[in-house]
Amino acid sequence: MSELRREPIVGRWVIVDTEHPSKPAEFEYEPSIFKEGVCPFCYGNESMTPPEIEAIRHPDTSPNSSGWQVRVVANKFPALQIEGDLVRSGIGVYDMSTGVGAHEVVIETPYHHKDISELQQSEIENFITMYCRRAQDLSKDKRFKYILIFKNYGAAAGASLEHAHAQIIALPMVPKNVQEELKGAQGYFEFRERCIFCDIIRQEMSDNSRLVAENDGFVSFCPFVSRFPFEIWIVPKRHNSFFCKIGYSDVVSLAAILKDNIARIKKLFPNVSYNFLIHSSPINGLDSEYEWYHWHIEFIPRLTRVAGFEWGSGFYAVSTPPEASAQFLREVVL
Amino acid sequence: MPELRKDPILGRWVIIATERSRRPDEYVIKTVLPPKESLCPFCEGHEGHTPAEIYALRSRSSQPNGPGWEVRVVPSISPFLRIEGELERRGIGLYDAMNGIGAHEIVIETSQHIANMADLPESQIAKVISCYIERIKDLEKDIRFKYVLVFKNYGWSAGAGRIRHARSQLIATPVNPKRVKEELVGARQYYEYHERCVFCDIIRQELETKQRLVLDIDGFIAITPFASRFPFEVWILPKKHSCDFVSLESNRLLDLGRIIKKILLKLKKGLDDPPYNYIIHTSPFRRPKLGYWKTIDYDYHWHIEIIPRLTRVAGFEWGTGFYICPLPPEEAASFLREVEV
Repeated sequence: MSELRREPIVGRWVIVDTEHPSKPAEFEYEPSIFKEGVCPFCYGNESMTPPEIEAIRHPDTSPNSSGWQVRVVANKFPALQIEGDLVRSGIGVYDMSTGVGAHEVVIETPYHHKDISELQQSEIENFITMYCRRAQDLSKDKRFKYILIFKNYGAAAGASLEHAHAQIIALPMVPKNVQEELKGAQGYFEFRERCIFCDIIRQEMSDNSRLVAENDGFVSFCPFVSRFPFEIWIVPKRHNSFFCKIGYSDVVSLAAILKDNIARIKKLFPNVSYNFLIHSSPINGLDSEYEWYHWHIEFIPRLTRVAGFEWGSGFYAVSTPPEASAQFLREVVL
Repeated sequence: MPELRKDPILGRWVIIATERSRRPDEYVIKTVLPPKESLCPFCEGHEGHTPAEIYALRSRSSQPNGPGWEVRVVPSISPFLRIEGELERRGIGLYDAMNGIGAHEIVIETSQHIANMADLPESQIAKVISCYIERIKDLEKDIRFKYVLVFKNYGWSAGAGRIRHARSQLIATPVNPKRVKEELVGARQYYEYHERCVFCDIIRQELETKQRLVLDIDGFIAITPFASRFPFEVWILPKKHSCDFVSLESNRLLDLGRIIKKILLKLKKGLDDPPYNYIIHTSPFRRPKLGYWKTIDYDYHWHIEIIPRLTRVAGFEWGTGFYICPLPPEEAASFLREVEV
């Protein structure tokens, strides 16, 4: 018998196949393969990207030349444009707005072939610090309401370039899924006066069955209501609504758990494509408004094809229960 | 300047990336085709290779689970949900769970080995639709179910299996799916405010501007929605208001079959046989005692959503519910209007 599970924050139902869970070897996923060619994100090709916005680079080097460790540039094909006012208008039954926003690319490493799991701890800390700096800087623009940091790795995950990079999009409105999560978390807080994410962390740590890894600052687990097999959430143990407010010790812990978890996934699924994204509180409101929200990272390996049923209904079917996924991940020897 | 557009029903924002838009012929889909099947369990004469049939349109002289049928409905061999058992809702700490009760059926659309519904005669598509209706009516009798989702995955990257034989799926669920519920709530809110059906308003506006109109025939229209999430997304709606797909009159089955066929053929010819999904959005079972959807007869409007799978959904879309559509729907509509079928 399979099980239907209800996501406690947004109320989504998911079908979990507890009867015949798929084992890692049963997934037929599209591997991400390096196709080579000229890469605008490699050393020596800095002029192929828009000019850099910010970089962590050797003090003797000048902007837009080699010698950097992390480099941030504007997206060459931005989904939104930075210039202009936010103008909302209506046409009959429809509403629209000008596409004002920011779209930046964080080139996480100069090494073309290295994924996060192959980088040094300090290199990962560098790009996480850069995520924070960019988020803080973009928050100063009052036109923006939300900053989304996300990563597509591998073609099957939607990456158009194979060199490791993350993207930052600043939006003039709060996206729908985040709004639902905020609403769910707020409802729970009003009812119980506790943060739902803190409660989830407590339950996961006492239950252990879905836990993947844990260190000083973070815990990672396969959520009770995973939408995808081997989905992982990485959550800070200390309550904090805003990602960009993490301190140095948390950057260190986050780098360690991110490296560990991605290494585990890639050991089970060599060359798998994946997405991760950081859910944080909206910006440019009152910070106290979001005290009941808890920032976190959602990590999704792209193992399955999403079909009509999922997008049409918002109802997901997961062939490996999160308990089994977590166990496979825990048992990986790194 | 890219445009942000708001879906009038769900309130979801979509980025229409006008400047990075590619021409329709720049969408190259290279589907990795897995090895071909040896024996197709869905072909006439192979009835013994599927579970026993639940329903079929067949000639009087034929026997169940034998040849002589036109459309055949069988249980899925790898069902998401099972028909037997009780729901047993329960809490696990702060989590909720229940047993995976439901129905999962496969509608085999033709006895011939044809892969794409676009290649079936419109009269055959009409028969497939009549089977959907018969099955939904039957499943409605089971009070454990709240909704029946009818959908289709065509092509590998749309989630179809290895067997290239046209079929759709039907899943009866014990809860209303989230996406459907959002649409129902959005439509009801619009009705409370305007006392009009939001879909009827959309139809009126699309017929007037014609910018996003693909077809307007026999009482149905096909449009590319204003806030399309995907390039070449097409919605088919009945012009006459109706919340319930099942109440479609039998003399209109052929009209619906015709517009579905035309749209699927336009996609096939214009976009080089792309993988696609379609899904029917209709009202949940309106059992009198529930009484929750009081105005649903007036505020909701059933429709079919068709999505060719030309782009990959990336992290941004999954994580935010905020879609970036690389092609303005006006251009998609104009392209599809010009494809001759």
